[in-house]
Amino acid sequence: MRVYLNFLPAVVSLALVACSAPPAGRAPAPQASAKDAVGPGPMDVTSPQRLRVMSSQQYTNTLFNIFGPDLKFDTRFPPLVRTGGLLGNGGAIAGVSDSQLEQYQRTAALVAAEVTNPTHRTFLIPCKPVDEKSADAACAAKFLPAIGRLLYRHPLVPEQTEALVKEAGEAATRFKDFYAGLAYALEGMLISPEMLLIAETSEPDPKRPGHQRLDAYSFATRLSLFLWNAGPDSTLLDAAASGELYTPKGRAKIVDMMLASPRLESGVRAFFDDMFGFDDFATLAKDAETYPSFTGATAADAREQTLRTLVDHLVANNGDYRDLFTTRKTFVSTALAPIYGVPAGRGWVPYEFPEGSPRTGILTHISFLAVHSHPGRSSPTLRGKALRELLLCQQVPRPPANVDFSAVENPKSTIKTQRERVNLHLANPVCAGCHKITDPMGLALENFDGSGAYRTTERGAPIDASGNLDGKSFTDVVGLGRALHDHPSLPTCLVERVYSYGSGGTANEQSKPMLTYLNQEFAAHGYRLPSLLRTIAMSNAFSEVKPPETRTASVPTQSSQTK
Amino acid sequence: MRHMHKFLIAALALAPAQASAEITNRTIGYVLTNKAWAVYQTPDGKAECPNGFNDGPREQFKLLFPEKDGKQYTWMETQFAREADVWFPAENEPSTDQGPLPYRLVNGKTGVGLNLDGKVGPNDFTGPRGEPGIDNQLFRAVGCTMGFRGPDGSNYFFENDYMQRYNFNRVLLEITDVDDLTNDPDVTVTTYRGLDGLLTSANGKDFIAGGTQRIDERWGKRYIHKLKGKIVDGILTTEPADIKLPWAMTFDVNVDQGFKQARFQLRLTEKSAEGLIGAYVDVNDWIHRLQINWSTHHASYGQISTPSLNRILRKLADAYPDANGKMTAISSAAEMKFAQTFILHAEKPPKVASAKDEERTDARR
Repeated sequence: MRVYLNFLPAVVSLALVACSAPPAGRAPAPQASAKDAVGPGPMDVTSPQRLRVMSSQQYTNTLFNIFGPDLKFDTRFPPLVRTGGLLGNGGAIAGVSDSQLEQYQRTAALVAAEVTNPTHRTFLIPCKPVDEKSADAACAAKFLPAIGRLLYRHPLVPEQTEALVKEAGEAATRFKDFYAGLAYALEGMLISPEMLLIAETSEPDPKRPGHQRLDAYSFATRLSLFLWNAGPDSTLLDAAASGELYTPKGRAKIVDMMLASPRLESGVRAFFDDMFGFDDFATLAKDAETYPSFTGATAADAREQTLRTLVDHLVANNGDYRDLFTTRKTFVSTALAPIYGVPAGRGWVPYEFPEGSPRTGILTHISFLAVHSHPGRSSPTLRGKALRELLLCQQVPRPPANVDFSAVENPKSTIKTQRERVNLHLANPVCAGCHKITDPMGLALENFDGSGAYRTTERGAPIDASGNLDGKSFTDVVGLGRALHDHPSLPTCLVERVYSYGSGGTANEQSKPMLTYLNQEFAAHGYRLPSLLRTIAMSNAFSEVKPPETRTASVPTQSSQTK
Repeated sequence: MRHMHKFLIAALALAPAQASAEITNRTIGYVLTNKAWAVYQTPDGKAECPNGFNDGPREQFKLLFPEKDGKQYTWMETQFAREADVWFPAENEPSTDQGPLPYRLVNGKTGVGLNLDGKVGPNDFTGPRGEPGIDNQLFRAVGCTMGFRGPDGSNYFFENDYMQRYNFNRVLLEITDVDDLTNDPDVTVTTYRGLDGLLTSANGKDFIAGGTQRIDERWGKRYIHKLKGKIVDGILTTEPADIKLPWAMTFDVNVDQGFKQARFQLRLTEKSAEGLIGAYVDVNDWIHRLQINWSTHHASYGQISTPSLNRILRKLADAYPDANGKMTAISSAAEMKFAQTFILHAEKPPKVASAKDEERTDARR
């Protein structure tokens, strides 16, 4: 059991601001050169310099990239708070509690034990100790700084390496086991603030006097989390160390390399999993009597189906983002096929619904239909609300606290369809305001029940799936998909989400020129996601930052008085 | 498999949108989910079994070897002899001091099954809805034995339990050339063995429609049979044919059940098929299958005495006389429930079972 006192000063609160210079004891980024060039895009826009806590998935991906995917551990870190439509943005306002720290340590202990066990040590540790039962500083010094560079996302200064080697040596002597000592030091690194907290640091921009940009290691980290949802690899850190990352050619080369990497799939999956609110799958449950075909496997595969479709369409085929809402191409699995009413192959199989099928676009995936429904029935309101908030970045007001549900929850009601049910809301002026925003497009999805299965009737009554979206009327879900495809907010919402996801926080008023630029570029490139990612990664605003203002305590404190 | 998926997806993509997703290209598939030898049951059993229910191995053992007057038995004359009786009793089942071991046959007039011979004879049953000429002497033999009565009889219960547990039992029916599930004068029914598990509901209690099954084209050729049939008022009836179906029971022993002049009579919907298979079953085959699958433990808990059954089945056999005029097969019926399933075909259709396949199978047994 390690003590993590070294963590505490850094985790009092993440409301702390990031530093304009590297903290003491951290290797400085390579010196900026005046001949370096900045990226394109509006030059008067910066993104905030942030301090963020690493998400569970970022932590996992980073460790898998460093040590390999066969490591067995789990990262059940507490969920982040959804902010500005994204959980990712919540990392910048999170605190770290004692219990959270315990969870970090549990994971760290598991990982350290796995890395140093007899199975993995032979290929993960680049040397063998002279005596396995005692300390070996030379071998520890080969392993710890190399791994530390990848975990901390920058090289270790000699003092850090010395401290780690010393710590490993003392533990090895105490446990009479070299590998136990190494695991002890590794566990310490895995719960270190330098690992868990992403503290961006900046430096004066040599090309633009009076402006700050992220230092090369912080920029490498921002790029890597943005595109791969993991810490930077050795190549990226090398590019940061050599200064290549801040040369026009070097930056383009690195960004293109990252976009071509298989790790881009992890990044794209993580972004859309966040944007589409798929964390709701963690609590998704359906009434087994009402929806006998909907099992736990269905829920898991429904999430995977949409993510596969997204990656295939946007990354593998470089497709138009808007076409996701009209495409009949997807993937099906054994667990999903019964609800779609189609044959299943073995495992995941590409599938195209036939022409004329109502299954057009990801709105007709089980993921969207089932998550945004009640456990025992569909919900035009929840579906319409999700469509507006998740896909169009609009805010639907919360219902008032004193809503009278008696009319819609009357067990003796003769209401048969959801359309009749939501019409009751429209008759009540208190409810009508919001329901007019959500229901007209949600009703177009009524041909799908709460599990996502297709239906033409509800309790014996034929379903009317007509609706409208901001002035465009349609008769069914196919029309809804087309209206959404053509909705001007669909691509601009994605742009806003991607930009705030990449820069680590909600886009604000100052981001508007950048968003306008990105929207123009996105449209000019046919609404292709890789192109949007590249435009953001290459933009000036992505690397130029506004350093946090120094805050002065409004009430005199002991520390302020002693200065 | 990759080719198979491509083929399937291409076929579906070309298919026009249909009102029913279950019927694709004039074809619908079903997978067997429940089966039981057809036993007509009244709540207290008095109508069909006025003399009560049969004894099982334990009760018979007590009758044969009573513990009285300090009589001492040897292993050889008791347990060993009785174990041999399971296989070689024929008509020589041991008797008690009071005569042969008692056996209760069904005495009622009502029975479930099909009219196999097209006649109405004195031993035939009448169906619950008044259908005359029901040929089901197997029911007469097993109907008063608790193990064959649902829902708790050991044979009834476990045969259904094994439907899910043993993939070997995966019986598929594919109806092709079907234009209408309510009335169609000419359809083709093909039986296969499937390779995949049954699809269960979210609560795990029921089997549901919408699953997918691959065909066992390698080891399952002997189960592929093409039958002609017709659908009248939603009931599919097939023309008589000799077929084999996989019929595994305890310990996953993979055996077949042969059916002579078999015909299905099933009520069809887009989600299910439910009804009967009626056929003559070879007595030797039937008892052999039961004995190699069914432990004394299971038999004891269902009062199923195979020595007695062996004797009774031969006595009640009503078809396929041998050279000496002795009947070798008994009329039977099994209740069956199927759930709709999608049946995956390979690009090259599998061969229908031939006489050679039958010979090879028999030679291996």
